[in-house]
Amino acid sequence: MLRLEALSFVSRGTTILSGVTTVIPDHSLTCLVGPNGAGKTTLLRILSGELKATSGRLLLGETDTSLLPQGYMAHQVSIIPQVVQPPPYLSISELVQLGRFRPYGAIWRRLTRRDHVAVNASLARCQLEALSKRRVEELSGGEQQRAWLAFGLAQEKRFLLLDETLDGLDVLVKKSSFELLKEVANEGKGIVLTTHDLDLVTQFADQVIVLSSGRVVYEGPPNADWQNRVSPAGQARWHMA
Amino acid sequence: MRRTSLVMGALTLMLAVGVLMGLAMGPVKLDVHQLLSAIVSSDYHTAHAIVWDLRLPRVAAALLVGACLGVAGCLLQSSTRNPLGDPQLFGLGGGAAVVQALSIAGLIQIGTWGLFSLSVAASLVGAGVVLVFASRQGISPARLALIGVSISALAAAAATGILAEARIFSAQPLNFIGGSFANLGWQDVLPALPFLAVGLTLAATVVGNLNAMSLGDRVAANLGAEPGRTRAASIAAAGILGGVAVAVAGLVGFVGLLVPHLARLLVGHDFRKVLVVSIPLGAAVTLFADQAARLLFMPSEVPAGLVTALLGAPLMIYVARRVL
Repeated sequence: MLRLEALSFVSRGTTILSGVTTVIPDHSLTCLVGPNGAGKTTLLRILSGELKATSGRLLLGETDTSLLPQGYMAHQVSIIPQVVQPPPYLSISELVQLGRFRPYGAIWRRLTRRDHVAVNASLARCQLEALSKRRVEELSGGEQQRAWLAFGLAQEKRFLLLDETLDGLDVLVKKSSFELLKEVANEGKGIVLTTHDLDLVTQFADQVIVLSSGRVVYEGPPNADWQNRVSPAGQARWHMA
Repeated sequence: MRRTSLVMGALTLMLAVGVLMGLAMGPVKLDVHQLLSAIVSSDYHTAHAIVWDLRLPRVAAALLVGACLGVAGCLLQSSTRNPLGDPQLFGLGGGAAVVQALSIAGLIQIGTWGLFSLSVAASLVGAGVVLVFASRQGISPARLALIGVSISALAAAAATGILAEARIFSAQPLNFIGGSFANLGWQDVLPALPFLAVGLTLAATVVGNLNAMSLGDRVAANLGAEPGRTRAASIAAAGILGGVAVAVAGLVGFVGLLVPHLARLLVGHDFRKVLVVSIPLGAAVTLFADQAARLLFMPSEVPAGLVTALLGAPLMIYVARRVL
């Protein structure tokens, strides 16, 4: 479980996040929604340990993450950024294999049997087995997104953060990807996905967090009327955006 | 792994052939028997001197410069995610070129060791500039190369200007601008060895991270590959190796650009293998280019850099079509 306590982030005088208090459980698919510029990406970057919060605390279980050794969070949390350009020459399986990269002894390290099992399982789950020898540049946008999803899953970390990874997919593939994420979450992983597809959020999310101008304006399960329960101020901003 | 071993074996064989060619052929041809006796005994005084004082240092210089350029190109291409990475294209050689020009013109006189150190230092300055630009998020490969080419052009202009001002119109500046191994002795080669060792050691500290670097800084950081430190060490190592190469042989072009691409065609995209293969491959390409440069137009010769450009340019176009 990741807990955020009154977490704020200020960059060059601009407040990106302010007073965010919420919980990211394991075993669940958390969808992070809100207008562009609401601070979703910044929140993910703080969760992954890439950025440090200006104030407030991020706790992993009961431990303040600022007390953890450098790089510890990266072992717990994998993140697929919104804008990623995979090297065009890599094959899908080579890309997913890089998910098994370990910095220690990286100069000699070869994939273990355990690594191959994880890679093959991720490829199978994302229905990429038939494409595994194809080069990244030969794939459609949707297939590339699935390749990144497989890359994230192959890392087998406790939390997986996906920044609009599914938003480029067509309706059917997107739906099956949500189903897949839900399944993976049920097996124990904590998944945070930012997305603009509110219908699929309603259908699949275990928890929704709505961000608006850096504040949490709704958090809770995606009940039938969750979109109406977003606070009026937050909703107004959302519609303006 | 088997493929890499096979490639390394074939390259070793090629290097052996190249070295024998470099020692036996030339204005004075030596057959196998003469060559062997010249190597082991000083009884045949002339042959002994030709092999030990003229041909062997030249062969060694070509091997060393080729290895430096191959590794430097590989480090630049992988750490900046830029298929145009090359010590000359990125402007690393430029600073070293100015230092060499100043030395040829007699404006600085600091001895061989000082000259090597100063060349490497100047090349590291160029590396610092590349590092600053390459660390910016979202700089396109072409823009980075354009900045590098501009620095190189500026440095070449400065170097040529210095040589013209000093009224030196002998073959030495021509060889230096073109990149040549003519008239090199041991004193031009041996000081390069410690720099080569430092450069390779620095490269070895980060080579394991280079594969993860290809996914972009944010993903690389999440995987634990320390993109900032990896890039800084890679570019610094490339700066040292590129500076040494210029100090030995001047501006030998295309080797640093070409060799890593060739290596990738041979052993795939694992940069750990590519880096290792780039050492003998760079050495072989440069050695054979130098053999062509000195043997084809005997008794006259052309700068080896001319041959690498002649071979490198069309091959590069082919590689660009496959890899870029």
